[in-house]
Amino acid sequence: MLLSGRALDAGSASHLAACPRCSAEQAAVRALAAYAVPAPPSPAGVLAAAAPLLALRARRAGWRALGRAVAAALVPLPLVLLVDVYLVRAAYGMLQALLPRVLSFYVVFNYAATLTLLLAVTYAMVPIVAERQLRLRREESRA
Amino acid sequence: MATDEELIGAVADGDGRALEQLCRRYERGLHQFIFRHTGGRDVDDLYQETWLRVVRAAGRFDRRRRFSTWLFQIAVNLCRDWHRRPPPEPVDPAGIEDATRDGTARGDAALDARRLLAALPEAQRSVVILRYYHDLDEDAVAEILGCPRGTVKSRLHHAMARLAELARP
Repeated sequence: MLLSGRALDAGSASHLAACPRCSAEQAAVRALAAYAVPAPPSPAGVLAAAAPLLALRARRAGWRALGRAVAAALVPLPLVLLVDVYLVRAAYGMLQALLPRVLSFYVVFNYAATLTLLLAVTYAMVPIVAERQLRLRREESRA
Repeated sequence: MATDEELIGAVADGDGRALEQLCRRYERGLHQFIFRHTGGRDVDDLYQETWLRVVRAAGRFDRRRRFSTWLFQIAVNLCRDWHRRPPPEPVDPAGIEDATRDGTARGDAALDARRLLAALPEAQRSVVILRYYHDLDEDAVAEILGCPRGTVKSRLHHAMARLAELARP
């Protein structure tokens, strides 16, 4: 209380008067209380000094997030490819019974090309989604 | 409002605004601690270096711990290193005693608190600053300084005895 400059309550004051050790320390504590400290510097200096470190950390965090997202996206890929191959083969077999072979191949090829394109677009979205998730997480942690 | 531990997690991901929030929360306490510990010398350098160490080690911060304890541990270590350097002007505790006994001091309020603290050994000074200026309990002080609670009590006792002796008119 003495150090923070607050007034002593009755109990503390009577203890201070009665206790020889505390009264001996009183002068020292009052002296310490007079220790004024100037205002701290603005955080701008710290932020400027830390900017290269933060940029490095941000890059590393970005790569880590991307790596995790790509790894998670690659897990179901074999199954997706297996199902797609099965579907294409089944469709080709079915169409061959109804249409000429060249026409069946043309239809199935178009279907396979569309599937490949969709798959490529989906995987191309992974880094964009990962970056967006990272940004959202940062905003949440600041909120 | 985000907790300190969440903010330091964001700092580990390179978030400058999270660092700014942490700086604003602790700027006063940390600056005062360093100022009192070093007697006002090299404060800005040590203050900045503390935050740089926080950023560098943010990825290794254990989120089960309190950020404030960790921050002050870094500051204490930096101040210890600083005290190991050769001082530009050595403090002579005898000078303080002479000054107070000669009656040159102008009473309690005018006693030079800076020189009183400087007269204490580094370990005792840390305890006094954390316990009395920062109002931390003995357990928290012990955790920051990495020593048992009994050591904190003993250092505090010796420090106060020394200060009382120095401040005696």
